[in-house]
Amino acid sequence: MSTTKEKSWSPRIVAFLCNWCTYTGADLAGVSRLKSSPSVRVIRTMCSGRVDPTFVLKAFKLGADGVMIGGCHIGDCHYSEGNFKTLRRVEMLKILLDQYGIDPRRLRLEWISASEGDKYAHTTLDFEQQLRELGPLQLTE
Amino acid sequence: MKSYRLQLMVCAGTGCVSNHSFEIKDALEKEIAKHKLQTEAEVVTTGCNGFCGAGPLVVVQPDGIFYQMLKVSDIPLLVEEHLLKGRPVKKLMYVPPKEEAPIPKMSNIPFFSDQTLVALRNRGMIDPENINDYIARGGYKALAKVLMSMTPDEVLQEIKKSGLRGRGGGGFPTGIKWETCKRIQSDTKYVICNADEGDPGAFMDRSIIEGDPHSVIEGMMIGAYAIQNICEGYIYVRMEYPLAIKRFNIAIEQAKEYGLLGEKIFDTDFNFDIKVRRGAGAFVCGESTALMTSIEGNPGEPRAKYIHTVEKGLWDKPTCLNNVETWTNVPPIILKGAEWFSSIGTGDVTHDAWGGSKGTKVFSLAGKVNNTGLVEVPMGITLRDIIFNIGGGIRDGKKFKAVQTGGPSGGFIPENLINLPVDYEELTKVGSMMGSGGMVVMDEDNCMVDMAKYFLKFTQEESCGKCIPCREGTKRMLDILENITSGKGKEEDLNLLEELSNVIVESSLCALGGSAPNPVLTTLKYFREEYEAHVKDKKCPARVCKQLLTYTIDEKQCVEVGHGCGVCKKNCPDNAIIGEIKKAHHIDQNKCGKCGVCYDVCRFNAIRVE
Amino acid sequence: MITVNIDGKDIQVAEETTIVKAAESAGIWIPTMCYSELFEPYGICRLCSVEIIRGKRTRIVTACNYPLRENGLKIRTNSPVIQEIRKVLIELMLSRWPNVPVVKNMAASLGVIEPKFVSLERDEAEDACILCGMCVNICRDVVKANILGFANRGIKREVVLPYEKMNSECIVCGACAYVCPTGHIKIKSLDYERGAVADWYLGPKTAINIPTLQAVPRVPKIDEESCIKTQTGGCGICSTYCEPEAINYEDKDEEVEIEVGQILLATGFQLIDLKQMPQYGYGRLDNVYSSLEFEHMLNSTGPTGGLVKCKDGSEPRAVGIIHCIGSRDENYHKYCSRVCCMYALKFAHLVKDRTKAEVYQFYIDMRAFGKGYEEFYKRLLDEGVNMIRGKVAEIAEVHSGSDGKPYLLVKCEDTLIGKFREIALDMVILCPAIEPQFDAADVKKIFSISQSPDKFFLERHPKLDPISTMTDGVFIAGCAQGPKDIPDSVAQASAAAARMLSLISLGEVALDPVKAEVVDEYCSGCRICNNLCPYGAISFVDDKKISNINEMLCKGCGTCVAACPASAITGKGFTDMQILSEIEGLLSI
Repeated sequence: MSTTKEKSWSPRIVAFLCNWCTYTGADLAGVSRLKSSPSVRVIRTMCSGRVDPTFVLKAFKLGADGVMIGGCHIGDCHYSEGNFKTLRRVEMLKILLDQYGIDPRRLRLEWISASEGDKYAHTTLDFEQQLRELGPLQLTE
Repeated sequence: MKSYRLQLMVCAGTGCVSNHSFEIKDALEKEIAKHKLQTEAEVVTTGCNGFCGAGPLVVVQPDGIFYQMLKVSDIPLLVEEHLLKGRPVKKLMYVPPKEEAPIPKMSNIPFFSDQTLVALRNRGMIDPENINDYIARGGYKALAKVLMSMTPDEVLQEIKKSGLRGRGGGGFPTGIKWETCKRIQSDTKYVICNADEGDPGAFMDRSIIEGDPHSVIEGMMIGAYAIQNICEGYIYVRMEYPLAIKRFNIAIEQAKEYGLLGEKIFDTDFNFDIKVRRGAGAFVCGESTALMTSIEGNPGEPRAKYIHTVEKGLWDKPTCLNNVETWTNVPPIILKGAEWFSSIGTGDVTHDAWGGSKGTKVFSLAGKVNNTGLVEVPMGITLRDIIFNIGGGIRDGKKFKAVQTGGPSGGFIPENLINLPVDYEELTKVGSMMGSGGMVVMDEDNCMVDMAKYFLKFTQEESCGKCIPCREGTKRMLDILENITSGKGKEEDLNLLEELSNVIVESSLCALGGSAPNPVLTTLKYFREEYEAHVKDKKCPARVCKQLLTYTIDEKQCVEVGHGCGVCKKNCPDNAIIGEIKKAHHIDQNKCGKCGVCYDVCRFNAIRVE
Repeated sequence: MITVNIDGKDIQVAEETTIVKAAESAGIWIPTMCYSELFEPYGICRLCSVEIIRGKRTRIVTACNYPLRENGLKIRTNSPVIQEIRKVLIELMLSRWPNVPVVKNMAASLGVIEPKFVSLERDEAEDACILCGMCVNICRDVVKANILGFANRGIKREVVLPYEKMNSECIVCGACAYVCPTGHIKIKSLDYERGAVADWYLGPKTAINIPTLQAVPRVPKIDEESCIKTQTGGCGICSTYCEPEAINYEDKDEEVEIEVGQILLATGFQLIDLKQMPQYGYGRLDNVYSSLEFEHMLNSTGPTGGLVKCKDGSEPRAVGIIHCIGSRDENYHKYCSRVCCMYALKFAHLVKDRTKAEVYQFYIDMRAFGKGYEEFYKRLLDEGVNMIRGKVAEIAEVHSGSDGKPYLLVKCEDTLIGKFREIALDMVILCPAIEPQFDAADVKKIFSISQSPDKFFLERHPKLDPISTMTDGVFIAGCAQGPKDIPDSVAQASAAAARMLSLISLGEVALDPVKAEVVDEYCSGCRICNNLCPYGAISFVDDKKISNINEMLCKGCGTCVAACPASAITGKGFTDMQILSEIEGLLSI
C-alpha cells in the first residue's frame, strides 16, 4: 500500500501567481499547448506583493511540498514596485523557513512575464522535479 | 620751470633718426657735460623739421642757428665753438646750391622761409612726448574756446567758412562732411582719424603724429563737439609707424591725465575718448570704407555702397573720417578765425564749398631736387616755386622733366605746366591730383614709361583684388607696360592701354582703382613720344629701360685710355665680352643680357649706351 | 514712390529700390555676374555699370547697389560708354577664364568672342573659380557660418577656408556650391566614401521636405539637422517666401499633457538594419537596394519618375529579389514578416511591366495566404518570373563582364534542383524583416503592458482578445502587435477603434472592485503601509491617528494588505480569509 502510494507520490505545489504577468504567462502556456507541471495549484493574486508570508507558512502547514511565487520582472511590475516588496519578503521568509526546518529550496520566487509561457512551463516542471528529489515535506507538530 | 641759455633742438624725425640723430644727441649731451654746460644748454628731441635731405639736423635756439648733415665727429667742435665760445660754426651750416656763403639762420634758408606753417606749426619746436610743450605753444586753447564759448553750430559754421577741404586726397569740404554727419539722426556716431599713410615716399602724416600728436587729438575733439552725439574716436595708424602709435598712446594718456580727454572735459557735459587701431599694412586701408571694415575686424576691403560713410560708416553708424593733416588744421582755424584761414589759398568758398582751395598743404618733396623733405606751402603756390625755390632746383644741374603729384596714383605734370598753381581743381584738370601730397620730381634721366610702370606696379600689388577692373585690369596694364619697356611693345598697345585705363577709372569700385591708371594716362598724354620711341624704335630715350639699350665698347677709348684692362670682361655675367688684355674689347650683342655691369665697372668711359 | 527714367522709359518705383530691380520691372536687362538677391549686392563684377544723369552731370554707378532716391533721375543702361566698359570687363575675364561657360556666355551676349588681352594668369579649366564672391557672401550673409573668405591681395586673390583646411565650423550646408556659377565648388559625400548607404535616389533631401509624397497630412517639415537656421541662426529665406507666415523656427518639440480615457498604441515597426549582414553588400555595393528604396524608385513621383534604373542610369538586364532577409532566420528573427512575399511578387510584376529585365525571386517558402494572393502568385509564374527556392549566401560585385560593366553575382542554393547556382544580376532588391520599433521597450514600460518574445506588444489574449492589453484602456493595432499586411492592420485598428468607442458610448467606466480597505478598529497607526503604496493612496488621518486608503487612487495590488502587521487592511476580493481558504481548499485534495 505504502509502496504504491510512494510510487504515485507527486509533490503538491501551491503557486501564488501575479495577475498581470505570471498568471497570464501560465495562461499562455496553456494556450500554447505547452506541458507544465500538473502538480501546481494556482492561487491568483493581483500582485506578488499581496503574498503575505502567512499564506506561505499556511500552505506548508496544510501540506504543500513547495510554494512558488510568480511575479513580473523587476521594473515591469504592473503596480510599479510591488515585486520589490515580494523580493524582500521572500528573502526573509527563506531564513524563517530554515529555522522551522523547512528546506528553503521549497520556496521559489520566479519572475515570469506574460509572454513567457515557455518559461512558466519549464520552471514548474523543474520545480516539480526538484521537489521530487527533496521528497515530501514532513512537518512535525 | 627751468630755463636755459641755449636749447639744442635735435631733430628726431624719421629721416634724421635713420641718419643717426640719436647718436648726435648722445654726443651733444656728452660734450655739454664735458664742458659743464648742463645748466646753460638743454638738448631737446623734436619732431621732424621737414628738411630731411639735410639730416641729421640740430637747431640752436633762441637764435635759430641751423646745422645740417652732422656727424658725431663734428660735435666736439660744435659744442666748443658755438656753445662755449659763442661762435657759430660756418662749415656745418647750410649752403644753397651754386652759392658759396652759408646761411646761418634757419628762418633765412629758402627751404624754410618760403613755407607757411599751419599744420606743421609746432615742428621742431616741441617735444612730442610732453604735453606741456604743446600747451605752452597754445595747444588745447582752441578746444577750451570751443567748449567754453561756442555752440556746436558756431564751430561748424567756422569750419565751413574757412573753406578747409580734406587733405587725404579727395578734397571733400570738411565743413560739409561734418554738417551731413551731424544731420543724420543717430545716438551713436564716430569720428576717425585716417593715419594709414600708405603712399610710398609720403610721410607728412607720420611727421605730424610723431612731432605733434596733440594737435590731431585736439582737432578730433573739436570735430566731435561740432558733430555731436559722437561716442568715440578712432585713430587708424598703420603698423609700420610704431613710433607714431607710441606717441599717440602717450599723448592720449597725458591728455587723459590732464582731464582733456574722457568725461566732463573742462567741466562741461562734453565727453570724448579716443582709441588707437593699428592697420596691418594694406595700402587700400587708406580708403575710408576699407579702413572702417578693417577697424570692424574684417579684411580691409572697400565696400561697394552708394551710401556715404557719414550716413552709414563704422558699424553702420554715421562716421566722420578725416585725414591727420585735416584734423591738425582745425585748432588754428578756431583760434585765428575762418577769415585768416581763407585768406590763404585760391578761389572763393563763400558760396560754393568746392569753389577754392584754402589754407596750406604739406607736400613731401622727393626725387631729383636738391632739398628733399616735407614742405608746407600755401595753396595756389606754383609748382615752380616749390621745386625751384623751396626745393632748390634740380640736382646736379640737370634738366627738369616732370613732377608727379598725389602719390602712386597721381599724374605726371610736364615742364610746360610748371607754372601751374597748386590747388585741388588745377591739379585735377591736368590729370593729376592733390592726393595726400606726394611730389616726386623727375629729371631728364627718368624714363616716363618706366616711372609709370613703377607707380602702376605699386598700385597693382596693393589692389585688394575685390573688383574685376582693378584686379585684372591693372595687371593687364602692367603686363603691357612690361612688354613696352622690354622691347616687346606693339603700336596698338598704346591705344589698348588708354582704353583699358579709361575703363578702370570709370568702373572701379574704389578710388584706388579709379586713380591707379593716372600715371599711365598722364604720361601717355604728355610724353606720348617717349612711348612711341619704345614701341616703334625700340629705344628708351632716357636710357633707363635696359632691355632696349645696346651696350657697345668704344674700341679707341678702350685701347688708348684703358689699355684693354679687361675689367668689363671679368664682370660680365653673360660672358658676352670678348677681347684680350691690352687689346680692344667688344660685346657680343647676342649674348649681352643688358645688365649694365660693364658700364658701371668701366673706369675709362669706354662703354657706350644707346 | 518716385519716378525715374531708364533708357527713355518712365518707371515708378519705391524709394531705395536699386537700379537693377527697377530695370527688371521695366523689362530692361542689365548684365550681372556677382549679383544675387540672397545677399547684399557685392558690386565687384562691375558689369552692371550704368550711367546716371543728374542735370548736366553724368556719373557711372553699379546698378546692383545704387539706391534710387530722387525723382526724375535719368539712367542709361546701354550707352556707348557703358558698352565699352562691359566689353573690356568681360574681355578681362574671358582672357583669364576662356573656358568657363558663364563667362563665355556673358561674353557672347555682350558681343565678345575673343579677348584682346593676353592673361598671364590664364586658367583653361571649365570650372575655374572666377572670384565672383558668391560663395563667400552666401556663407557670411545668409548661412552666417563665415567659413569662406578671400586670401591674398590683387591678382593673387583666392577663395580659401581658414588656414586652407577643412574646418569643423563648416556646417556642410552646400550653399557655396549651390551659388557657385562655375561649379568650382563641389559637394563630395564623405559618407559614401566611408561605405555608408548609397542613398543616391533617396537623398540628398532639402532641409525642408515632405517625408514621402503620399504622406498624410502632406505637410512639409524642417529637418533640424540640416537646416541652416537651426545651426547658425542664419538663412531664414523660407520664411520670406511663405506668404501665410506659417514657418516658425522657434517651435520646439514639447511635451504636451493631454488627459485621455483610452489609448491606442499603433507605433508600427521598423525594418531590420541591412548593414549587419555584410554578405549582401547593402551600402557597399551599387544597385543593392532595400525594398523601401526600390518602392521609392518605382513611385512615379520618385527620383527616376518611376523608371527602374541602375545607378549609372542604364536599364537593368536582370533583377533579383531576395526574400526573408532577417526573417525566418535563426540569427535574427525567427518569425515570418508576412508581407514580403506579396510585395516581392508585386515588384517582380512591375519590373516585368516596365523593363525587359529577367526577374529572379529567391524565396524560402512562398506564403500567399490572403484573399486573391495565391491567384496573383500563379499569374506571376505565368509571366515568366524565375522562382528559385533557396537562400542566398552571398552577393559579390564582378567587374569582368564582357561589356566591361560590373554586375552582381548572386550565389545561392536551388533546393528544388539540389544545385548550387551563381546568377549574374544588375540589380538586387532585399526584403528586410519587419521588427519592433527600437524603443518598444520604453513604450511598454510607460503603459505597463507586455512584449511577446519577439518584442512586439503583447495582446491580452492571442485568440480571444488580440486588440487590448493587460492594462485597461490601452489597445494595440497594426505592426506594433506583430507583422501584418495592410488589410490585417486595418481590421485590427477598426476593431480597436470600435472597442474604444463602445467604452465611450457607455459613458461610465466600471472600476475593478479589487481595492484595499483599512479597518479602523484594528489600525494601530504604525504607518508602515503609508510608504509602501506606489500610488500614494494611503494617508494618515491625524485626528484619528490611523491610516486611511483613498479608494479612487487604490489599484488593489494588495502590497499593503500583506504588510500590515495588525492585519487591519483587507483587500476586497482577495482577503486573507479568502486566500487562506483557497490554500485550504487546494491542499485538501
